[in-house]
Amino acid sequence: MFTESLEKGRKVLSNSLTTVAGLRQLAGLALIFIAAIILSPRDRDTMEVIFLSQANLTDIVRQVSENGIIAIGMTFVILTGGIDLSVGSMLALASTFAAKLLMQWPTDGDWTTHIVIIIALTLLMTMSLGAMMGFAISKLKVQPFIITLAGMIGLRGFARFLTDNANIDIGFGKDITASFCGMFSEKAVVMLTFIILALIFYIILSRTVFGLQVRSIGDNPTAARYAGLPVHRTLVLTYALSGLLVGIAGVIHAAQNHQGNPNDGVSYELDAIAAVVIGGTNMAGGKGTIFGTIVGVFILGVITNMFRLKGIDINVEMMCKAVIIVFAVWLQMPRVRK
Amino acid sequence: MESVITFEKVNKHFGGIHALRDVSFSIARGEICALMGENGAGKSTLAKVLFGVIQPDSGTMLFEGNHHAPKSPLDSQRDGISIIFQELDLFPNQTVAQNLVVENLKLMPAQGGFVSDRKLARITRPWLEKVGLSVEPNTPLNQLAIAQIQLVAIARALSMESKLIVMDEPTSALSSSAAEHLFELVLKLKRDGVTIIYISHKMDEIFRIADSIAVMRDGAYIGTKRRTETNLDEIVAMMVGRTVEFRNRQASWRKERVVLAFESVRTRLLKDISFELHEGEVLGVAGLVGCGSAELGKALFGLDALTLGSITINNRRVTRNSPQLSIRRRVGLIPGDRKLEGLFMQQSVSDNVSITVADKNQTLGFIRKKGVEGLVNKTFEATKIKAAHPGVCINTLSGGNQQKALVGRWLLADSSILFLDDPTRGVDIVAKQDIYKIINELVKEGRSVIFVSSELTELLGCTDRILVLYRGAAAGILNTSETSQEEIIRYAMGLNLSETEHRGAR
Repeated sequence: MFTESLEKGRKVLSNSLTTVAGLRQLAGLALIFIAAIILSPRDRDTMEVIFLSQANLTDIVRQVSENGIIAIGMTFVILTGGIDLSVGSMLALASTFAAKLLMQWPTDGDWTTHIVIIIALTLLMTMSLGAMMGFAISKLKVQPFIITLAGMIGLRGFARFLTDNANIDIGFGKDITASFCGMFSEKAVVMLTFIILALIFYIILSRTVFGLQVRSIGDNPTAARYAGLPVHRTLVLTYALSGLLVGIAGVIHAAQNHQGNPNDGVSYELDAIAAVVIGGTNMAGGKGTIFGTIVGVFILGVITNMFRLKGIDINVEMMCKAVIIVFAVWLQMPRVRK
Repeated sequence: MESVITFEKVNKHFGGIHALRDVSFSIARGEICALMGENGAGKSTLAKVLFGVIQPDSGTMLFEGNHHAPKSPLDSQRDGISIIFQELDLFPNQTVAQNLVVENLKLMPAQGGFVSDRKLARITRPWLEKVGLSVEPNTPLNQLAIAQIQLVAIARALSMESKLIVMDEPTSALSSSAAEHLFELVLKLKRDGVTIIYISHKMDEIFRIADSIAVMRDGAYIGTKRRTETNLDEIVAMMVGRTVEFRNRQASWRKERVVLAFESVRTRLLKDISFELHEGEVLGVAGLVGCGSAELGKALFGLDALTLGSITINNRRVTRNSPQLSIRRRVGLIPGDRKLEGLFMQQSVSDNVSITVADKNQTLGFIRKKGVEGLVNKTFEATKIKAAHPGVCINTLSGGNQQKALVGRWLLADSSILFLDDPTRGVDIVAKQDIYKIINELVKEGRSVIFVSSELTELLGCTDRILVLYRGAAAGILNTSETSQEEIIRYAMGLNLSETEHRGAR
């Protein structure tokens, strides 16, 4: 009886300690948050800290949403021990593809159905392209870096080819494109999409067989084969998942910017990778969480916001970001040695 | 006798674990001192402290009368101490010669500032010859068998002209003849005045070559015995704090029904293997390194394709094979290299154990947490895994417990045919006994086990029959009750084959 209750107590304690350890990931974000409050300009009349105003805080969430959605997919890819360099080009392709369909597909009133079909087609395309890359990585056994680098080049070309290098402007008038932009540039819609996706994929990674297989394959591919895991299927699914999420980000991107620009999304892959890494995911695979990635996304987002509020030169911002990324990763590294 | 190394009240904590408790003892110059203890007793930790990989929390060391407080392995190397770790920490993609030279204070000056393969070969070849390794120095390490890699590690230690060499489980991956060769080397080193700390679990080796036997238990030093003044039972009692029975199998559960048959199976590395496995049978597999025992498992499990011949499981011929199909046929494989091929080192013990059954315990892709928890707890009981709780990361467990987790994974998968590739390698004596018991339980339930081992005593103790392999071919199948270590070794060396067959087997 006594040993049983002792055991129970120990379990509760160790579980709560694990929770506290999980909060360590938040230390970096908290520090940057405090810095942002201190550095923030104040409203001249009310002396309110502008950084903390509701408008600014929700702006941050909206601004990080695209990178956040991409970074969720990137987390899965990196967990398998891979990398997806194609996300920037994929985003450009998704937004130009959606914009082109919106502009060129004649409609007669039933806009909603049209918009749903167009989004579905866009996501289907990005998902298939992701699956193709996953297939090549798994079957041809070429390194993910190479395959997705090829994807990065090829998809950019495809996006430009679709529009003959031109931008497709949308949402300037009273047509379906305006309705589309209105729908998906709404702050609440953008924020909710990001938050709901983060929740869904948090659960998928931590609670499903697929999540366990993703982590295991990245941890030890040989052992995964020996344990009879469906390595091929999991890799294809992971890259398809990344494609799907980038597609969603691309649709939002087109609506928010009122255009499908085949030259957009340059270096988005690096932002996403940075967020994942700051979030404590092992670049070699096997270890990482969606929660960490979200923290990483917000660390980057708050830094940007902090500098924008101050009106500091963007080049200075980048230099500071570099230092802060290294510092944040260092701060969040597990303290236990050997 | 003059002591070469003295430990004085050395303490080391890892988190809440007291890994070394007031360890104080000394070792005499020119001795072979066997350091023994169960897994987790603190032997490897002590070796790491001595070598400067980790620093003790308190306590001092005296090496040749001088204060020895290495901040890094290079400090130790400078003083004349080298170590051959259990997990040979060499660079697999570099050549043998590069592995010998890197961070080697004695060879680096000879190498000069520029690297030339020819020069490297010239300065490293004498050391390779010294350990009897006949490979080209410019061969990449990953093309060598594990026994040869072990020799590279020893050659590296020799080339540093060390006065004290620590060997951590040097024979754990070696075949009998390679181990023989190693013993000769060790004895020769001793004649040259080198002191050797020899960490091993294998009693027969230790009683052959050691001068003294130091025993550790739970991080504490228990005592040292002269080999000539002690016996196996006393040492085991010191190690475990209680007496352990060395009991052979008393019963056989072998039945007539054949569950698995290999017929003239050939793969890239196997040559014409035929045997039958019965229900409730433990079939041992013996052979020297490179004999193809691991490949046998790969052929069975669908990891290697057959080029000829056939495999029949429960009277049904296997036409398509893969690990996933094997699991569906209730065939399991516990690979020989638990870190490389078996475990997911960044995942929890629970995930490692339940990975193959996760698929069966899901609702719409979601893992049934309660169900899996129950299964994992049952496995913990069956295999006696020692862990704080199932959720801890597997890399916090000792080697023996990691091995038990791997065994537990396949118990959980409910395999009816289980291929165990050297499951007791680098595992302490108590964990070994636990694994023997598990094997016994398995066959009692009517399952069949193929048990590969490099230790003949355990094969003789646990099996019904022993398949001896020689260079990828079956040299013979021996009835365990009618054979002896000598006979097995003769078969394993191909001595039973006539001259013509001998050539054919090449």
